[in-house]
Amino acid sequence: MMDPDSIGALLARRGVSRRALLKYSTRLAALMALPAGSAEALADGLARAKRQSVIWLSFQECTGCTESLTRSFNPTIENLIFNIISLDYHETLQAASGTAAEAARLAAMAANKGKYVVVVDGSVSTRDGGVYSTNAGHTNLEILRQTAADALAVISVGSCAAFGGIAHARPNPTGAEPVSAIITDKPLINIPGCPPLPEAMAATIAYLVSFGKIPELDHLRRPRSLFGDSIHDRCYRRPFYDRGLFARSFDDEGARQGWCLYELGCKGPVTYNACATLKWNGGVSFPIQSGHGCLGCSEPDFWDQGGFYRPLSSNTTSTGTVVAAAAVGGVALGAVSALVARRRARLARQETTP
Amino acid sequence: MAHDPTPLVESLLHEIAGLLADLAATGQGARIDLLGLPIGPAGRAALAERLGRGEVEAALDAGGTSEIWETGFAGVWWVRHFGADDRLATEQIEITTVPTILLSQPEDIAIAASRLAAGLAQHTELPQ
Repeated sequence: MMDPDSIGALLARRGVSRRALLKYSTRLAALMALPAGSAEALADGLARAKRQSVIWLSFQECTGCTESLTRSFNPTIENLIFNIISLDYHETLQAASGTAAEAARLAAMAANKGKYVVVVDGSVSTRDGGVYSTNAGHTNLEILRQTAADALAVISVGSCAAFGGIAHARPNPTGAEPVSAIITDKPLINIPGCPPLPEAMAATIAYLVSFGKIPELDHLRRPRSLFGDSIHDRCYRRPFYDRGLFARSFDDEGARQGWCLYELGCKGPVTYNACATLKWNGGVSFPIQSGHGCLGCSEPDFWDQGGFYRPLSSNTTSTGTVVAAAAVGGVALGAVSALVARRRARLARQETTP
Repeated sequence: MAHDPTPLVESLLHEIAGLLADLAATGQGARIDLLGLPIGPAGRAALAERLGRGEVEAALDAGGTSEIWETGFAGVWWVRHFGADDRLATEQIEITTVPTILLSQPEDIAIAASRLAAGLAQHTELPQ
């Protein structure tokens, strides 16, 4: 007998067949790179689960992450995520405001103590007690600590919540920090990107609801299934990189031929995300397909990596992390980037030698 | 300069052949997610041509449309699910006897049985 409060029962009342749920789960299982047969298990888990209470906190952010999630889920299978979660608090989407809105957050926390998921977009101001970003008379820092205290898990969506993002860029006047710097005693998942892929958000939440655990994460706490490959590894222009064929300006013959954008600053070799395969706007395209290099927006401190249009091999930022990774990647992937780096270094030495 | 999809398609065909042999020997099915591969339209077309069309084609309408057909190799199915605006949501090669999505689901059958019974009861009620 189906639990009347389960997601399966809810969907049945709304006329959504189990076959449609299975179809949705097939997509989620593919996104999460789950083995064959997992779609059925995922659908079964979702159908038995109760709707997951989600409290969404928006801090120092631009609302792009919410836009990404909501704008991309038109009717049909994509919008099933909103049947799987109970979005109990979201400043941008909820009808309530002021005291009533805050009361809704506190009521959801009390009703689902220890069971709700906190989703955060935006970084957290910490300088001077966090006074540079407040809401309803409370700092973001206070609200985060209070709300996360009884949460089941925390999901940082977008590069601001995951890594500090643009607010964290030098000189970081508000003392912006990622959620992971503040919440250290809860399971935490990062889904970075500026904005993140909507499929990545939906699939991660659905996995959590269905299997009751967090998916396998990488060293930056990103779901490995979605952030396991670099943009470069999955890029359709990769064969040109391997053959040393590069566009050198945005309107030269190489650009017209669709050659690799490495020398125009593409950060694909050091950026881990699924844009090259899932793409954007319902699978229409992604930046590289549109003729622009990857900005590396799902990596920490992407804003401070020496310029979007400077090749990785010429990066001379104080951190040095990107150029090192590029050189290593170049060796592993055919030594092209390391060769370009050496060539550029030689040219630079010639230019500076009197 | 077009990217030559041939090596990837050949690699995929070898993988499918191995999985199909497993299905024949053990009954164990498998899926290959085409959207997770950098295969592109030309690669898809080449793969579709090599696999051909078989005896079964089906169309679904459940949370969006779907196109399903058995390829020219029994046990190798091509499954496409579309979402809003007929955008491709999932595209997989399934190596199986029949894709699960084509089967009537037990939960849907139970609901259908209740609905049909209720409809018949209403229809057969005698007027007062």
